[in-house]
Amino acid sequence: MQRVKNLGYDEDEPYDDEDDVYEEEADPGYTAEDKDNFAALTPVVRAELEEAGVQASDKDIGDSLWHYYWDVDKSASYLKNSRTPRTQQQGAKKEDKPKAKSKFDEAAQKSAEKAADWFRDVPWTHIPPEMEGRIVPEEPAMPMPKLLGGSSKLAKLAEERREKAAAAANVAQIPAPNGVLSSLDRLSKPQDTKENDTPQPKAEPKKYPIRKKREPTPPPKEPTPPPPEPEEEKPDLRASPTGFGRTLASSQLSGHRAASMTLKDMLGSEITEDPFKGPSPDDTVLRAQQHSKGLTNTSKTKQSSTNGLAKKTEALKLGENTPSAPAQPKVRSRGLDVPKLWAEEKSKRKASAAFVVIGHVDHGKSTLMGRLLLDAGAVSQRDVDRYQKQATELGKSSFALAWVMDTGTEERERGVTVDIAQHHFSTDSVAFTILDAPGHRDFVPNMIGGASMADLAVLVVDANQLESGMKGQTREHVLLAKAVGLKRIVVAVNKLDSTAPNAWSQDMFQEVKGNVVKFLGESGFAKEDVMVVPCSGLSGENVAKAPEASGPAAWVAETDLTLLKALEQSVPSEVSGDALKRPLRMQVADVFRGGITNPLSVSGRMTAGNAQAADAVLVQPSGETAAVRGVEVNGEPRDYAVAGQICTLHLTDIDPIHIRSGDVVCSAAQPVSVVTSFLAKIEALDSLLPQSVDVHLGRLHVAGNISQLVATVDTKGETLKKKPRMVKAGQTALLKVTVEDDVPVEDGETVVLRAQGGTVGFGTIERTSA
Amino acid sequence: MRLLKQNIEKKTGAGTATLLPEEPEDMWHAYNLIRPNDLLRASAVRKVVTESGSGSRSNERVHTMLTIRVTKLDFDPQAAQLHVSGRVAEENKVVKLGAFHTLDLELQRNFVLEKSEGWDSVALDMLKEAINQDAKAQLWAVIMKEGLANICLVTDHQTILRQRIETTLPRKRAGSTDHDKQLQKFFQITFDSLLRQIDLANPIPLLLASPAFTATQFQQFMKNQAASGNAKQLNGILAKTTVAQAASGHLHSLSEVLASPAVTSKLSDTKFARETQLVDRFFELMRKEDARAWYGPRECEHAVAQGAVGKGGGVLLISNGLFRSQEMEVRKRWVLLVDDVKGQGGEVRVLSSMHESGRRLESLGGIAVILTYPIEDLDELVGDGDEEDAPEMDQMNGDIARPNGVEGCVEHEDIDFL
Repeated sequence: MQRVKNLGYDEDEPYDDEDDVYEEEADPGYTAEDKDNFAALTPVVRAELEEAGVQASDKDIGDSLWHYYWDVDKSASYLKNSRTPRTQQQGAKKEDKPKAKSKFDEAAQKSAEKAADWFRDVPWTHIPPEMEGRIVPEEPAMPMPKLLGGSSKLAKLAEERREKAAAAANVAQIPAPNGVLSSLDRLSKPQDTKENDTPQPKAEPKKYPIRKKREPTPPPKEPTPPPPEPEEEKPDLRASPTGFGRTLASSQLSGHRAASMTLKDMLGSEITEDPFKGPSPDDTVLRAQQHSKGLTNTSKTKQSSTNGLAKKTEALKLGENTPSAPAQPKVRSRGLDVPKLWAEEKSKRKASAAFVVIGHVDHGKSTLMGRLLLDAGAVSQRDVDRYQKQATELGKSSFALAWVMDTGTEERERGVTVDIAQHHFSTDSVAFTILDAPGHRDFVPNMIGGASMADLAVLVVDANQLESGMKGQTREHVLLAKAVGLKRIVVAVNKLDSTAPNAWSQDMFQEVKGNVVKFLGESGFAKEDVMVVPCSGLSGENVAKAPEASGPAAWVAETDLTLLKALEQSVPSEVSGDALKRPLRMQVADVFRGGITNPLSVSGRMTAGNAQAADAVLVQPSGETAAVRGVEVNGEPRDYAVAGQICTLHLTDIDPIHIRSGDVVCSAAQPVSVVTSFLAKIEALDSLLPQSVDVHLGRLHVAGNISQLVATVDTKGETLKKKPRMVKAGQTALLKVTVEDDVPVEDGETVVLRAQGGTVGFGTIERTSA
Repeated sequence: MRLLKQNIEKKTGAGTATLLPEEPEDMWHAYNLIRPNDLLRASAVRKVVTESGSGSRSNERVHTMLTIRVTKLDFDPQAAQLHVSGRVAEENKVVKLGAFHTLDLELQRNFVLEKSEGWDSVALDMLKEAINQDAKAQLWAVIMKEGLANICLVTDHQTILRQRIETTLPRKRAGSTDHDKQLQKFFQITFDSLLRQIDLANPIPLLLASPAFTATQFQQFMKNQAASGNAKQLNGILAKTTVAQAASGHLHSLSEVLASPAVTSKLSDTKFARETQLVDRFFELMRKEDARAWYGPRECEHAVAQGAVGKGGGVLLISNGLFRSQEMEVRKRWVLLVDDVKGQGGEVRVLSSMHESGRRLESLGGIAVILTYPIEDLDELVGDGDEEDAPEMDQMNGDIARPNGVEGCVEHEDIDFL
């Protein structure tokens, strides 16, 4: 294209030729709609032009219409303007160049018809350097169509320029033939070499920049109708030196745009406008952002000044004072006084509680929770129907409700919960978080992690299989629930719809209730903290709704609460304000990718302190700092999270390899200590010797050793015997425990020791020492 | 290890043994055989600086046979290398007497060992065991759970943790397949690491152990890999793969896995299995508060002195770490104890401190006994005032806590059982 133009500018009717080519190539781009528009609007424009006494071909009208997006007035005025001055100019030019044109024109015309013909004897590859033509797009050569919307003022300007150009052409008579030559020499080899020998091209570059300077005078942003350009090109092209000279002479700015064109580009049908001339969309966005950044900066300073006012709380100081708050520029701290806000919003807020669902494997924990969520409206019937269908296909239709909680592929295939499932729902008065624990003995570590995040426990007992459960994980889970410090427990006696010999046997329920309550009492649960409800997870009686008055389960409504009601009544009182003011502690239960905007998120229960966006935190044991980018509670973005909540923190400025589940996210100013051994007061469930054990600290699960039996103690903490040979089951002892990895712990944390697949002891950390 | 030549007198224990280590495991034996103060003769490369009459110096590396009196041993189980430092005890033309040298024992290069105090019974037993050619059970074990895999090589005498793979797996969450994806990635990493470790051409049994079904999943993963990729070689390993249940994915679960009937039935009855069973029995007795099981150096010595570890079920379990003491006196004490028990007709088991069962024993102080008749309150008899036992226990456990069990760093210099 470019080359075509270069040649065509001297012709009598350059536009026709050029448009020919242009049209040919652009035509395929016209849709049927466009064509219709052409047909409809061309006569209108023509009529207007005739009024002004201007002649124009259909093609020209069509073109201008196309460029002006069917604006009749504009295209008409453009055509008027463009037609009138041209004749003058052409006349002048004809006089200037008497000869050399005929030959040149011939070639140009020919080539314009078929650009490919030029390259007839040019090899496809390894083009000899003397044959290579380098074509450099001129800056104003083809302004983007964006610059549309010319006005009469502009047309005037353009005319002025044209006159100037014509004058310049007169003066620069020598370069003119040269330009022709240089154009021609691209067609024939011998001429080219000759031309390179002549000293003239050397002089050209000097002149060239001057003209160049003049050209951009029209402000680039000013709307210029595209068709006038070809006329402006004239002076440029005439002076156009060889590619080499052009590169030498060009300023840096244009220089880097001087991309060489490939043969394909020349033969290809692409319109040679420079797509990179204007600011790229990215640039515009960036510039806009820069402007807004200025804004944030100013508001930032304001913010910090308000921070200075609200420096009352320690928690805030942490966020602001730590030197390692790299996220400051990225995340804006709102500088909330969280403990105060929390206290203020107390009346507005629903009570909240997280409960862990425990019990032996296959006693129906997940199914019961699926039912609870369905009846509480947190899961739609449609989803459950879908699960039902999928489960039936697998031949496990009774697992459909459990699939609400069991989302893993392995879990569904095997019909067993593997890991803690977390789900939120809320009733009118309480917002609940379900932590559905796995019942299988192999996954007790996961259950410990879940239980450590809960406020209360729901023990699910299969009314028909109490015995197996008591031997297995019902017992272990209850002990572990006690071990991690859960006080309240709701017992759901499940599967009462399938009791033998008759369903909903009240005697059966009473018997199971008696046994369970007795066992819970022995395990250390106070009587007033235990509630027992009969229910059926599969059929749904007495879970969220009381059973019908007519059925076999009618007695339930009179004597017992529904599971949901019992849960609402068991909600423990809120965390005290003091816990919020302590330094931040949160054990990471899960590290995951929260989404595109939050590539690294951690979730877990905050045990102390509070967190808000832009807080600087430290991850132990890696000791890496991070910044909080955002906070989520119950799956909704919040301004802050406080102790007692199960929340998700979106982190930045930290590599994911530094965070594992079980790590502790803590305040950077008062980090949690990292140790490899500690002294713990352990209640032995099995005999303990110096031996290897699995050490569980909430979600953290590490290999360790009981390295020393320090002493056995009685309930008051008085030493019974120093250095016992062994600690018998039921005894309480001070033990020195060493772990293989660094663990972040604090005094008073609960610790569970397991060995050979069973829990051997639990207790609290008395002293952390290196 | 091959015994090329020996001239040990039965009575006095004087004399030398010429040994040829043939495989990496032999370095472990050498490490247990060679004690400080022993005389060791092996080939060495020594840099010799010669000064000419004009004062110019020239360096030369000379191959020579050196005899040193051992001062320090350094064993690297990962690389199976043994470095023995000492002072030159026999002058030759390149080294002076008393010069320090560190010999690097190499495979297929024989060395001559002479005991400073003569070959005692324990040393002779060790030598016998070292040159025993038939018991060469070896297996690869992968103890894993989701996100953690320990790849280790279990030989007759050592459990060498070759690689530990730990990845963070995101938990399950509704509508996300991240967990499954990461699990596959974790399997891939474990699989690749395993392939790098094991010798495909000469497959030895592979044991996969995990809680729940992680190991089964991994086995399936391996099968899929075999079906898709370099199948032929992998099939050899797959045929020798056993899957077992473990209580946890940590390395210390290995001992119970190796003792489980599912594994012992498939794998040949090996030394570690027997050792594990004995330690298990001891723990079982302890748990039952049977007064026949006692641990700790003082208690054991007392029991042996009473003749309670004799014929009819008396067993002395002792970690070979105790014999590695730097001090001759300490070693003598244990050798005496072992000889006593043998004299009484009891069974002596020297457990490798590089095995899980040995580690369990070390947490008990490295020594335990199963008596033929119960002695109540043995600890009372021994007395309560043994305050110095505590630091010693700590010392031992400090060693055990080291995850890789780099045995060479274990210095028992400050162990004093007196």
